[in-house]
Amino acid sequence: MELKQAMIIIITGMLGTVGFSALFRCDKRRVACNALGGALTCLVYVLCCSFIDNLFWQNFFPALFATAYAETMARAMKAPATPILACSIISLVPGSKLYYTTYYLVTSEDELFHSTLIETLLIAAGLAVGIICISVVVHEINRHKFKQILDVE
Amino acid sequence: MQKTDERYSEKVLSLALDLGKNMVKCGAEMNRVEETVIRIGYAYGMEKTEVFSIISVIYATVIDKDNRTQSQLRRIRSMSVNFEKLEKLNDLSRRICKNKPDLDEARQELESICVPGKKFNIAVCLGYMLASASFAVFFGGNLLDAAASMPIAAMIYLMQSFIKTVGASRLFFTALESAVAGLAALVFVHFGFGNNADIIMIGDIMLLIPGLMLINSLREMLCGDMMSGLLRMLESVLLAMAIAVGFALPILFWDFIV
Repeated sequence: MELKQAMIIIITGMLGTVGFSALFRCDKRRVACNALGGALTCLVYVLCCSFIDNLFWQNFFPALFATAYAETMARAMKAPATPILACSIISLVPGSKLYYTTYYLVTSEDELFHSTLIETLLIAAGLAVGIICISVVVHEINRHKFKQILDVE
Repeated sequence: MQKTDERYSEKVLSLALDLGKNMVKCGAEMNRVEETVIRIGYAYGMEKTEVFSIISVIYATVIDKDNRTQSQLRRIRSMSVNFEKLEKLNDLSRRICKNKPDLDEARQELESICVPGKKFNIAVCLGYMLASASFAVFFGGNLLDAAASMPIAAMIYLMQSFIKTVGASRLFFTALESAVAGLAALVFVHFGFGNNADIIMIGDIMLLIPGLMLINSLREMLCGDMMSGLLRMLESVLLAMAIAVGFALPILFWDFIV
């Protein structure tokens, strides 16, 4: 990937994150944190794209990074992690693939439709698995704490 | 004495559930809501708090120290993502668990957080426009495409805030919003405002895609809340399909119109 193209992706990814922070009505103090998350996630994505030639892994690692970032920042700022994650990861959501899947379906180009559909699902799966891998760890730690508070079992 | 006690557990339960309901409305995942309800019951000295929730219902029972039970149910009919409010609610619940303030005081604070906001929020509208323009460029468009996607984004925002008040079927209206956005993109490009109709549409698709819903569903399934997680995942897949159908219509019929 060219440097110019990579810069465009990182900068617009960051701006998109800022837009989504407003769309989700985030606290104003969190916007900078979200924007940084969005930019870094795009950076990881660009790096993955230039080293890995596989849609699943290209999206898995940025998702992994975004979740780790969101959980860390959430701890540091004593805020919930979901808003930071939802804003940071938004630029990886396969909106364009969804469009082309629809487009090829409508124009009855079956082969292209099948391949883009599978690409869309691969990207979604990569994101989902990436998010889950980090969340599992965090969840297990939290559950342990929660159990101690409630004094159950 | 006994009577006041009964009122006490009822008040605790109703505070916990109202807080939970508002959290769901702001876009929280269900396990966070269940945890909050349980923690509040615990903080106010209930012997046991049991809660069950799926995406549009929270049902909880508390048992107080004298073994009396109280049950209440909350139904959630509409939601609009508002993370600032969610964070305030989260803080409130944290403070309740830590300081155990007077019930009326906590209730007042809850109500001061949950005042309905303005119908039209200019910052949110600008957020829609910025996001769509950024993603138009992100996916390979030029600046004219970005400019063309902005009025469509504002239109989507207006439609969404109007439809929230009507409370009609979300799938149908998502498809309708997508169809209007797609048609607008094609019309803009037809009259020379924007170069690539597909890029403009993609910028606006990003606004409609249920990304947050998918994240929440993953987290819910992870926390053992299979039912909410699966329902939400199904809902987000259906929404994605509705978006696809909505954008397919103008593409399909554009040749007949022009």
